[in-house]
Amino acid sequence: MLKRVEFSGDHLDVLRELMNIAVGNATASIADLLQAFGTMHIPKIAISDIKGLKQYMHETIPNESSHYVTKQLFGGPLGGEFIFVITDEVAINLGNHLYDVEAPNDADIYDAVIELTNILSATMISRLTEELNIKVQFFLPSTEIISGNDLIYLEETAEYSQIIIISTQMEFQNQNINGHIFILAKDAMIQSLKDLIDQKLEELYA
Amino acid sequence: MKKPVDYPNILLDALEHGIMIVDEAFNVMYWNQWLEINTGHDYSNMVGKSLLTFYPEIDYRTLQRKIRTTLRLNSPTFYDASLTNRFIPISRNKISSSLLSTMQLQVTISPYIIDQGMVMIAVYDISDLHELKLTLQKQMEKIAHLNSELQHDKQIIDDNLLIVKTDGDFHIIEVSKAFNTFFGFEKNELEDCELQLICSDKIPVSEYAQMKNTLQNGQRWSGEIEIISKNGQAIWVDAVVTPWSNNSGSLSSYTAIYHDITDKKRLELLATTDLLTKLSNRYKFDEIFDIMLMREHWKTDDTFAIVMADIDHFKQINDIYGHPRGDEVLVKIAKVLSQTLQTGDVIARWGGEEFIFLLSHVSASKAIHVAEKLRMAVEQLRLFVDVRLSFGVSLFVEGDTHATLLNRADTALYKAKKNGRNRVEIV
Repeated sequence: MLKRVEFSGDHLDVLRELMNIAVGNATASIADLLQAFGTMHIPKIAISDIKGLKQYMHETIPNESSHYVTKQLFGGPLGGEFIFVITDEVAINLGNHLYDVEAPNDADIYDAVIELTNILSATMISRLTEELNIKVQFFLPSTEIISGNDLIYLEETAEYSQIIIISTQMEFQNQNINGHIFILAKDAMIQSLKDLIDQKLEELYA
Repeated sequence: MKKPVDYPNILLDALEHGIMIVDEAFNVMYWNQWLEINTGHDYSNMVGKSLLTFYPEIDYRTLQRKIRTTLRLNSPTFYDASLTNRFIPISRNKISSSLLSTMQLQVTISPYIIDQGMVMIAVYDISDLHELKLTLQKQMEKIAHLNSELQHDKQIIDDNLLIVKTDGDFHIIEVSKAFNTFFGFEKNELEDCELQLICSDKIPVSEYAQMKNTLQNGQRWSGEIEIISKNGQAIWVDAVVTPWSNNSGSLSSYTAIYHDITDKKRLELLATTDLLTKLSNRYKFDEIFDIMLMREHWKTDDTFAIVMADIDHFKQINDIYGHPRGDEVLVKIAKVLSQTLQTGDVIARWGGEEFIFLLSHVSASKAIHVAEKLRMAVEQLRLFVDVRLSFGVSLFVEGDTHATLLNRADTALYKAKKNGRNRVEIV
């Protein structure tokens, strides 16, 4: 049994602040790179187990539509999984916007979804890790279409005892693009994140 | 232009994937050996020239956006590798099983020298993996199609065939929708019930045991049985029961498929029943009689007997009271005779006012005793007129035929009439 990592109020405040900066960074990058101007919600932070994560996703993602779910891993002193979820309707809007075609084909849509995920993950995670004075490596993202909101397969995640969930929502009204973002880190990486925040706190109050 | 020989170049040439360095205007700054070999374009041909010259078909707007993203974010960007290859086409030489004529590439665009607008594009051949994925997808589609057909067929079977599945102990585990509808049961109502419970008690226990025995020996059983519906109605069905073995070879379940034969049974009944008395008719009796004659194990004290009975002075009843009252007498007598007879013995209307019986597993004395019982039962009957019956008994002995046995019974009956009626004689 792994020891649970406890986050103090200070830890959560710092993380929330860092994520606010990361989200702002992401919004600016999307505006610059994809010519889409919009907003991103203040991130929510929760520490849960895998069942809690499943439940959280059920509550956050509507069950009615099919979703393009893109997952990208990042590794290094802070590792985890970045998940970007958009409905199939939004994915078509995105393909439409990036490829400038009336009816984007499947390849256009997949590539557009990967591209937006890439920008979101790179800006948000990079900004977070930059603030924590570390470097991370990004891995190839992959997209799958999932019907409903069952995004977590419990049997595949049984070894995770503790998960940190950072979630936010992006909205680009002119392009009809909106989606949910989840950043997940598990077990040892949560301890690593806590240590990095401790260092940050020391820096701030030194 | 000769490729500079230094360690980074040697390293890049040694890689098992393609590496190129391009700027934002798509000018090639580096082209490693893997690309030279697989694209057929030399380093010297490519360097200093635009990718556009060699690969005009690429979506350069997308590529430019990806390069720009890489440079701005100082972070790698990727092409989606799950559908079709969207970067440079590189022909593939796999002949034996290839679904792909060009390589499926995984493309990563990484920042190289940002202030000079240069990125490194790494291309990995993931064709085998992609091919496997496509094959798997095709197989999955086939399976999905077969599964859908199977579901459709299963639905048709469930809706239309009367099927009951039991476990190895003959407890019902599954019942088709058609069965429940036909016999008036609710869904799951019969689950866990013993199969015998839905069968009519008219089926002898021995026959049910014989069916079980056949199935437990791994053989299929078929036959006609009566099933009792929810509202108590007995319905004849033709049954085929098949045993199923599990992987270890032991019998695990039985599947019974039933077919309603009510109409067949009704016709059969009409053809073999006397309409007035509801007793078996002469045709049915002869059929049973012939089966009994075919058995070879009869002994003197364990044989079968034919008993013929005739209502004494029946013509007078008809003449005095009329035929309808005469028919009434026939019906009442038929009823009392049937009730007096033991299970397993047979009674039929032989014609007119004559009845015939087949008594099995009897001796001469037993046969006479049964005939006496029948005679007395009629004698005690209280009707609008007193009726009596005369009986003639014949016992099967080796060498007897249908005709000889009947003749003797007839002779015995004649004797009974001659000797004063309302009596039993044996010949």
